[in-house]
Amino acid sequence: MEISKKCIVLYVLWLGINTLFFNDSLAVAADKENCLMCHKHRFNARIDENGRKRNYHVNENLYSHSVHRNISCRDCHTYITKIPHDPVTLKVNCANQCHIRPPFAQEKFSHRKIVDLYKNSVHGGKPEDSEILQKALPNCKFCHLNPLYSKISEKRVSYKETLARCNNCHPQSGVEMAYKHITHRLRKKTSRSSREIVQLCGKCHGDKNLMQKLNVSKKAMDAVESYNRSVHGKLVQLGSQKAANCINCHASSALHDINKADNPGSTISKDKIMNTCRQCHKNTDEMFVDIAVHPDITHAGNPIIKMISLSLGLGMYGSVLALVGLLLLETVGRRKDGARLVLKKGTTWYGKQKSVSGKKK
Amino acid sequence: MKANVKACDEEYYTHVEGIGSIPRDIYKYVTSDPMGDLPRFSIHIVIQHTLFFISFLVLVSTGLPIYFSDVFWSPYVIALYGGIDIARIIHKTGAVIMILASMYHLITVVGGTMLKILKKEFDLKRTQIPRLKDLYDLIDDIKYFLGREPYRPKMEKFMYKQKFHYFAVMYGSFVLTAAGLALLFPDMAAKLLPQTIGKIFSPVLIGAESFAAFFQDLARLMHADEAILALIVLAFWHWINVHFVPGRFPIQWTFLTGRIMREHQIEEHFLEYLNNLKEIPEEREYMRNLLSDNNLGVPSPESGKSILADVPDIH
Repeated sequence: MEISKKCIVLYVLWLGINTLFFNDSLAVAADKENCLMCHKHRFNARIDENGRKRNYHVNENLYSHSVHRNISCRDCHTYITKIPHDPVTLKVNCANQCHIRPPFAQEKFSHRKIVDLYKNSVHGGKPEDSEILQKALPNCKFCHLNPLYSKISEKRVSYKETLARCNNCHPQSGVEMAYKHITHRLRKKTSRSSREIVQLCGKCHGDKNLMQKLNVSKKAMDAVESYNRSVHGKLVQLGSQKAANCINCHASSALHDINKADNPGSTISKDKIMNTCRQCHKNTDEMFVDIAVHPDITHAGNPIIKMISLSLGLGMYGSVLALVGLLLLETVGRRKDGARLVLKKGTTWYGKQKSVSGKKK
Repeated sequence: MKANVKACDEEYYTHVEGIGSIPRDIYKYVTSDPMGDLPRFSIHIVIQHTLFFISFLVLVSTGLPIYFSDVFWSPYVIALYGGIDIARIIHKTGAVIMILASMYHLITVVGGTMLKILKKEFDLKRTQIPRLKDLYDLIDDIKYFLGREPYRPKMEKFMYKQKFHYFAVMYGSFVLTAAGLALLFPDMAAKLLPQTIGKIFSPVLIGAESFAAFFQDLARLMHADEAILALIVLAFWHWINVHFVPGRFPIQWTFLTGRIMREHQIEEHFLEYLNNLKEIPEEREYMRNLLSDNNLGVPSPESGKSILADVPDIH
């Protein structure tokens, strides 16, 4: 009796230690098909025919804390039908239906709506596009990772306080995840920082060679550079989360509807741009939207500003040189006349004998 | 020859009633306290200078890294301030302090002038208002620096250099405040400026598609350029003037004590020193004793010539 009790206590302790320190092995993954049998191995990798390094390792612990933790592998990788599977040639389609049924929904979950929206955007591509352009257009995975859940710091009410009320009825773990997911989406457009977003967009739009190949307009050519010169860009470069990044202005809350300015559905189209600016600048009017968000540093279209800039520069160097020249002249002149650098015994002047006092003898 | 000597003699000696004749280079014989002997600035000016001093350093050290955001040291400076969002708040706080100090200064200057006019003590020569004499003073001073003149010109309380700097600071802080407000409230500026200043100029003259865009571009340009100009002038001219010029090393304490050294006052602000002699009995006493003890300031008939003969030797 005694021994069996001790055994139970030890077993429970063992479980506890396991959950605390060896979380990895106990995590419940969505691996019904046992894909991890092979993919759990760390060095499951190769160099493919094109010389690219490919890594097929799936970290179970990371995956089980990610957004897609409940999606089984074959929901996305539908082309896999047997184990061991054939070499993969197809890519994942995010518009697939997976076996998750969201609350209050009759259908299985799919990203189709967003994918359709994206396909209609400027990044979606059209059949008549050139081959280079079609190659250059990013797919879903270019921007999206399989993000991990992370804590969000809130200013007014800490999320623990809010969650405490949810936890009165709901099981803790699920609600916490759902809550974090929802608040994250409500407060921030993406999980990336503003600086990362500018870097991401700049990967293609800042690549001058690529843009030249695609034959974009002059404005689009300099878009990243001119943005980085604007006050928004400078603040974002220094880590501000408040200043506008690319998608703050170029996408709505649906995030994928990035379009050119002449498209009436675009957030920067003539009808909608005022609302876009009003997200931050409350008193926006039709005058305000003319202000250059991507300023041109050469002031090519504005001779008067160019002239002022030039004369200010001349004035600056001119006055500084003149003042410093006068200062040097003054110092040399006064030194010659007998001025010392430091005040000693109440005076800075030596060489008195040259002057009047010598005459009193 | 005789007349010439006589004229130079009068310029060299300044006769003050009850003291005697003061030679122009008396500043080489006086003793000075580094903390200052004679009054120059009121406590208000000292406070305003301190406010400007602090707010300028804060504004520059937060503003420069924002303007040069792609330079390697910028993120470190911003990190010192606790992130860009905090640095922006500090920048705006500094701006408010500077604007308040400017307003304080305008109030004291205008109010002080009014008070002096009422008391009938107002003297245009003792103010910052530029006169034609300043230009001649500048020319004479350059001649002295080059060794062509034996003595510096007799200058008022504020010499050409200080007047220039004063109006440069006034203009600069006005431009920086106006442009900074336009940058801080771009939506307000886009509403207000085109309806006021924009009406005066025609769009053809301005050459921009839109007034709002023009003024914003102008504000961006002026705010940065004016600030950098101010920094360069302060760092390479003003600070050298008050720290490294002979006689001022290691620091000129006037900005804290509001008092100026006697030898400095006599050398660069001789006419103001004469006012000091009128107003301060102790200074009259000091100068009278100095002149009589050293047997200075009384041009004797036989020594008059030799002084003038000696003048070129000074240089």
